[in-house]
Amino acid sequence: MTFIKGVGMTKFGIEESTSMHLIYEASLEALNDADATMDDIDAIVVSNNDLLSNGERQRHSSSLLSSLFQKKLPVLSVPAGCSGGGTAIWAAMKLQKTGSYKNVLVIGFEKMVSNLSKRITDEMLMGGERIYEQTEGLNFPAQNALVAQQYMIKYGATTDDFALVAYKNHQNAFLNPKARFYKKEVALSQIKNSPVVASPLRLFDCSIPANGASSLILTNDKTDVEIAGSAENSDYLASFEREDITSWDASRMAAEEAYKQAGITPEDIDIAEIHDAFTSVEMISYEDLGFCKKGEAKEMVRKGVTSLNGKLPVNTSGGLKAKGHPISATGISQVYEIVKQMRGEAGERQVADVRHGLAQNIGGAGSTVTVHILRKC
Amino acid sequence: MIVRWICEKCSKKWIYPIEKCLYCKGDITKQKGTNIKVAGITKVSIPSPMHPIIPYNILLLEDEFGNRIPRKTMRDYKIGDAYVEQKAKTKDAVAAVKVKYDIYEAIKESMELLSVELNQDDRILIKPSIITSAYPYQAVNTNPAFLDALIMVLADYGISNENIIVAEQALIGSDVMDAASKAGILEICKKHSVKFEDISKGPFEEIESDGFTFKVFKEALKRKIINAPIMKTNFQIGISGALENLSRLSDEKTQREMYFNDIDKTLPKLAKAIDVFTIADATNGMQAQGPLALGEPAFLNLIFASHNAGFLDAVFCESTMLPIPNHVANSCEFDIKKVEIVGNELDALKYPIKQPVAHETPHTDIKVIDGKACPACLNIMYNLTSRLVGLRGNEINLVIGSELTEEMLKGKDRLVLLGGCAEKKTGDMGIKSIAKIDENLAFVEQLALLQKLLTTQGNPKITPIDKVKSKMRKLLSKVIR
Repeated sequence: MTFIKGVGMTKFGIEESTSMHLIYEASLEALNDADATMDDIDAIVVSNNDLLSNGERQRHSSSLLSSLFQKKLPVLSVPAGCSGGGTAIWAAMKLQKTGSYKNVLVIGFEKMVSNLSKRITDEMLMGGERIYEQTEGLNFPAQNALVAQQYMIKYGATTDDFALVAYKNHQNAFLNPKARFYKKEVALSQIKNSPVVASPLRLFDCSIPANGASSLILTNDKTDVEIAGSAENSDYLASFEREDITSWDASRMAAEEAYKQAGITPEDIDIAEIHDAFTSVEMISYEDLGFCKKGEAKEMVRKGVTSLNGKLPVNTSGGLKAKGHPISATGISQVYEIVKQMRGEAGERQVADVRHGLAQNIGGAGSTVTVHILRKC
Repeated sequence: MIVRWICEKCSKKWIYPIEKCLYCKGDITKQKGTNIKVAGITKVSIPSPMHPIIPYNILLLEDEFGNRIPRKTMRDYKIGDAYVEQKAKTKDAVAAVKVKYDIYEAIKESMELLSVELNQDDRILIKPSIITSAYPYQAVNTNPAFLDALIMVLADYGISNENIIVAEQALIGSDVMDAASKAGILEICKKHSVKFEDISKGPFEEIESDGFTFKVFKEALKRKIINAPIMKTNFQIGISGALENLSRLSDEKTQREMYFNDIDKTLPKLAKAIDVFTIADATNGMQAQGPLALGEPAFLNLIFASHNAGFLDAVFCESTMLPIPNHVANSCEFDIKKVEIVGNELDALKYPIKQPVAHETPHTDIKVIDGKACPACLNIMYNLTSRLVGLRGNEINLVIGSELTEEMLKGKDRLVLLGGCAEKKTGDMGIKSIAKIDENLAFVEQLALLQKLLTTQGNPKITPIDKVKSKMRKLLSKVIR
């Protein structure tokens, strides 16, 4: 069994800092939270996308961490696009289950707002399929716009539903000191009137890039939070290749596997951190994760089921939408939020009695998905 | 057309070409959808480096098999509209087709869009661009995969390998067989049992066009010419493309004269005299300091085709957002907006590649003042300056070409003249230089002189030791060969 011994993360924002210092900050918090030191760590799994645009020209994360922590130990690097953080947790659990490593430190870090936006956009494009998609201008917003449009046609969802998702997540981020939109008010009208990026998606339907790092320490020793289910699945890179682009198999399959491992059903989930790279993705994910039937996500949004005081609060942290999305740090920050909620340490955004929490981390348009289910012990 | 690679036995599909099914090991065939409809559309309002013009639309197209692809367009469509690729209506139309992992299909599609007519008895001369020894990834020469696919397409027209030759000559001073070998071209010729001919060996035949006499490779005049250049920037004349590639159908003397008499005017005359169909390799073209290896490969993923070489070059320039060079503008009277383009819309293709910068050479301290030098001096300039990379020195201005003006040389010092044209032209203008490098001097001696000029302030000369070294190197080179 795998338990979470400690969690840490930096504030997600635009503050300038070196990657080294971001990692240091998140790791120190996790070590303090675990009441541990680096002497207790047996291995590290790290995720980062090696973005040239972060201006550091620094590859080889493994040795970088060995230098930072002044420790010679196994360090596994797991880049996996936007699902890097979740994939690092999944890989760390596999590593730990070999029995050779008791305490594994998992780290995700990224600097997304340290260069000209055109350079960052170009690097982000590389996450998409090159020949069919990049050459046709199918950047991530456009790719998700086509998915959102098909979803709207098929199930009758509207752009107002997407706006409600954005509004909910901004309201949550307002209460989260680690969020990029902390204490920044965003009105529903502002969301609905924001410029169209790729129709039907508007600017406020898109997640916000950020700099940041997050970390957690996995252990065999029993703690207050267990990772009861952990699954990873991949689907074809180009979304147009798939039979149905309004449902993402990787997400559905990873969720099924994670529920099975945890021995629970979607009804047992109390809160979820969902990969809302776009508001439409959050809605599609409600269905893929089994929180409702296909086409019913709009009802959940309209009825406020996923609001902070709803039956199933989703993205209490503010999500990628408003907490921020520093790629490889995102997946681990989702787990951070659930742990804080389970311990009753979520401050103004605290949800009562959280026993099971789900974190879903997506790379590409449903290309690589991890689902982790946490259980309060 | 939407293509999928499908297993004949188990019907699994791939969007990439593969040879055998990874599951049942069955054979793979192509599934080609032609009845295409618009299933989705998004209007994109954010620019990106490869797509700087906004807004643009992306269509989600779906064929009769349910296969889908995204497609960029500047036109407005509605969901449910039929999507039809229009064939060219005019003879001078240009096809611009994107390569979807399959160069063969892209070449075939571009030829079909232009309704190219070839008969099985046609005798074909493929004229690629193979100008100097370079690997395919450097994008200096026509890519071997492109040539491979072109020969396969010709086979579909019923043209046998015996009726095809591939013919080219390298830049004056370079060996085309060395170049074609390194470029992977000879291997493709061998694979298809197609003969490779060195144009520089002739024989040549005189033809006249607008008062200029060209001595053209005789065999080319007996065959249908398929002009197969790689599309590149060219720091001298803007681009090396369909028109420039034709210059190497002429003998060495003609090429020199073409440059001596203003290449911007003589190239269009040559194009007018020779009937060619151009199918151009812009899969990985070249940007920045082309046409030699100082340029950078540019991922363009395109095939251009046309019966009009000038139009093709112009469309390439427009799509890569390069200025239209004089030799292209002089080739025919045209308004780019009136040129018929099939396969893709010009505005949807526009993507700025790096332009060449005047005066740059591979060596940071050696600048070039180019008076449209012929390929012989261009080649020497490039080879000399490349060899001295890393050796710091005093800035030198290497002067080449016959079309030099006082304006070009104004304010420049430490002029080093390379070749007879530069020497004569600067002499006529009464401009002094610090040294002259004879184009007929042995390369080792040229190099020794330029190295001394770079590293000393005086007026160095070639010494007897340099001459001995030169002879020894020549001898050594022969032994190694």
